[in-house]
Amino acid sequence: MKTEVQEQIKKEFDERATDSAFECSFYTRDLAPVPDFLVDPLFKTRPDMVVRPQNTAEVAQILKIADENRIPVTPRAGGSTVYFNSIPTRGGILMDLNLIKGIKALNKDEMTVTVRAATTWSELEEYLNRQGLAAKSYPSSAPVATIGGWFSMMGYGVGSLKYGNLLSQLRSIKVVFPAGEIKIITSETSPSLDWFACAEGTLGIITELELEVRSFTPMCHYLLQVHETKSIASIITTLKDAAVKPYNLHFSDKYYNQAMRKLGFTAGQIEDANIIAVDYEGEESELKEAAEIVAAVVAGNKSVKMLNKNIALKEWEERFKALKLKRGGPSQLGAEICLPIEKLGLYLKEIDKVSSIYRLGLTSYGHVVDRGHLTVMTMFYADETKKVSYVIGLSLVKKIQDAGYKYGGYPYGIGLWNTPYLKRIFTPANLAQIRTRKKTVDQKNIINPGKVYKWPFLFHPLTFSLGCNVMAATRRICGKGEKR
Amino acid sequence: MTATKDLFTTLEQETLICGRCGYCRSVCPVYEVIGWESSTPRGKISLAREIFAHGKRNKLGEDFVKRLDQCTLCGACANVCSTCIDTRSLWLELRKRVADEGLAPEAYVNLKNNLITNKNISTFSNSDRLEWAEDLDEEPEGLELEEEADVCYFVGCVSSFYPQAAQVPLAICEILMQAGINFTTMGGEEWCCGYPLVSAGFVKDAEPFIKHNVAKIKELNIHTLIASCATCYHFWKHACAEELKGYNLEILHTTEYLARLIKTGKIQFDELDEVVTYHDPCDLGRNGGIFAAPREVITSIPGVELVEMQHNRSNSLCCGGGGNLQSVDPALAGHISALRVDEIKETGATIVVSACQQCEQMLSAGIREAGLKVRVMDISQLLQEVLL
Ligand SMILES: Cc1cc2nc3c(=O)[nH]c(=O)nc-3n(C[C@H](O)[C@H](O)[C@H](O)COP(=O)(O)OP(=O)(O)OC[C@H]3O[C@@H](n4cnc5c(N)ncnc54)[C@H](O)[C@@H]3O)c2cc1C
Ligand code: SF4
Ligand code: SF4
Repeated sequence: MKTEVQEQIKKEFDERATDSAFECSFYTRDLAPVPDFLVDPLFKTRPDMVVRPQNTAEVAQILKIADENRIPVTPRAGGSTVYFNSIPTRGGILMDLNLIKGIKALNKDEMTVTVRAATTWSELEEYLNRQGLAAKSYPSSAPVATIGGWFSMMGYGVGSLKYGNLLSQLRSIKVVFPAGEIKIITSETSPSLDWFACAEGTLGIITELELEVRSFTPMCHYLLQVHETKSIASIITTLKDAAVKPYNLHFSDKYYNQAMRKLGFTAGQIEDANIIAVDYEGEESELKEAAEIVAAVVAGNKSVKMLNKNIALKEWEERFKALKLKRGGPSQLGAEICLPIEKLGLYLKEIDKVSSIYRLGLTSYGHVVDRGHLTVMTMFYADETKKVSYVIGLSLVKKIQDAGYKYGGYPYGIGLWNTPYLKRIFTPANLAQIRTRKKTVDQKNIINPGKVYKWPFLFHPLTFSLGCNVMAATRRICGKGEKR
Repeated sequence: MTATKDLFTTLEQETLICGRCGYCRSVCPVYEVIGWESSTPRGKISLAREIFAHGKRNKLGEDFVKRLDQCTLCGACANVCSTCIDTRSLWLELRKRVADEGLAPEAYVNLKNNLITNKNISTFSNSDRLEWAEDLDEEPEGLELEEEADVCYFVGCVSSFYPQAAQVPLAICEILMQAGINFTTMGGEEWCCGYPLVSAGFVKDAEPFIKHNVAKIKELNIHTLIASCATCYHFWKHACAEELKGYNLEILHTTEYLARLIKTGKIQFDELDEVVTYHDPCDLGRNGGIFAAPREVITSIPGVELVEMQHNRSNSLCCGGGGNLQSVDPALAGHISALRVDEIKETGATIVVSACQQCEQMLSAGIREAGLKVRVMDISQLLQEVLL
């Protein structure tokens, strides 16, 4: 990036722009613990500068300069993603959007709220609750995830089963396009809203979103202990298809629960079993009916036991804290897969196999996100201070992806690290379509380049697969690994 | 379930455990003001991981030390941490490592030297500790070093030496006298609790302070100690526990003791027609777990309406005055206090009450700066005003 341009931005943005090497170094990683020696030779993750615009006009001002000078711009909000989605691959400008936050307007008649893009879901929820309202859904990283960030990802999480993904709840967004043009986008405009859902910040920068909200309602929580792993999918299916739709429905397998217990995190009497948590919200009559549905599931299935209400409540209260399992690591590797619900049993069986072949001690949990799918996170412990075994561990993530793929699953989120799986995520027609969209909107490829559309040279699916398999074989032959 | 505090292992291990989720960022008042990722708990832990767990010692530079010192030790990050890291212990350990490397800022080194010389954080002689008592209408019997008194009041450096804060011990003495309590203080034998040294990274230097104070308490055969400074209270309760092993000492914050006096009918109050809001000091509330007692005390005054701020109890915002921040970056401390003042304003209260002289000093300055017509009082001063 040219020094004059850097100086110009610094002058215009004063203390909200920096090119200090120290400051810029904090934007080079996300949650993914990928060692420097694997990243640095391939990508320039350190931005040349970081700028913190505070409104739409300033976003446009930066994009205009970037476009004129062909400088890559990486948008970043909560920075809570894991595939380098908000990490630069070619240096340039890191646009830290966190000053663009707060509630802009609430329309109680229309039941919509307009928020600035970097408002977190917890901030929005806190605000709405004070008004007797609530968000229809939110990610299970609500304390950090921003409204704009989640929309740019897949937008599935807590509440999606009942209310749909975020795209279906959005009325409009304000977008700044690469050359600095500002537009309001709805489902009727061209481009339309759906272009931006899952675009991972590659088409433009979203500064405002208008979304639907719901009334704040009472909730009830149930926790079911399920001894037979093969029953999980059928119980989940019964619950999701029942007359009252759960607000949240998730499971954790017995290995996950064992690991939690080992760490002292299990409240009360959870035995050595799988867990299904089901949470409802709505009118009292709806909750009453839900109670009957859950009771019938328990009565009709010998493998199922209902746990104490307090433990169920605790499980709900801890819904943002899945990461605490990491205490057993210190590092954790894994993959999140979007899977057809009916294939869950087969997937978990396959995971059992992978776990014992590679001695990985795999643990899984997942959320039902719509009537047909759940997102399953399967993980294993690692230690990033032990370089060789850690790199081999990284390659084994593909084995989890493969188990998912075998049963119709695909990675949840793309960023940089999941680009080798693009052909699993998209049909050829879909892939061609999103590539055309990118070309239409961002001819110079300056917005968040290196992500989503193409794998980098060394990540070609064939080379990638070969590399991973060689390392996996090494582990299979010599690895000590974990026992479950 | 295991408590977060008990889970802390080593600095290296905890930095590796951190998942870099950023939950801590959303609640950190320092990040709220500074805005760069380097000021977030997540950012600082990531770099600490590089330096200490991955052995990249060359990254331990001035910039990083500055960021480590720009922290009020409010504990908000520990409260939300998704991997249950006791980040407050982690920050203290990091400051210790920095001090061990000889990289502590000059302000901290001066603070240490002064403490070692004077035994208190002011430049006054420690024998003047009870000067504030000259303003009492009548000095109670046994105010200084009375053996076997029922209660020993640990006044703390700020309240002992700074005139504005000295109103707190004056109020407490008046209440205790009215309630007929047989109490004493350690007078010139009270040394700083030691917390300013620990929070500056000079952990070893704090040991003589802990030992001295505990020895005096034992010598006086005292079995109930009360502190009006939230930090002294927290330090006595936790950092002195090891030294107090085997000795029966009940350690209470004055709010807890006052609540007890009210419950047993030892003090009664006149009516007060005011809207009051309560600011939870971090070391008393979030880090000390005491939320109910101060609220019970305030609502026991007839006529008082207690309104909560948007962030209260364990989610309370810091006043900006903790962690020695004022000694290294007073402007940052002032900006943080302004965030809290905004919330005070929102409540419409005419009085903001707290239970820590440091919070009160920060909030008074912030309220003055904002031009608000709100009185800032310690909970004991509020009671003193309505004492029957
Ligand atoms: C414990 C935990 C639980 C999680 N649970 C979920 C979950 O339930 N569902 C889920 O989908 N994800 C989940 N995630 C992943 C992640 O937290 C979410 O996807 C989150 O919504 C990302 O938001 P962010 O603000 O952190 O975005 P960032 O990580 O900052 O950015 C995400 C992507 O969006 C782009 N972007 C961000 N803001 C904008 C904007 N305003 N305009 C244009 N582009 C933008 C970035 O360039 C990047 O590509 C979880 C993560 C953790 C750690
Ligand atoms: S203790 Fe408080 S000021 Fe320090 S990093 Fe944590 S939240 Fe920020
Ligand atoms: S909340 Fe905890 S795990 Fe998450 S980034 Fe902060 S310190 Fe790390």
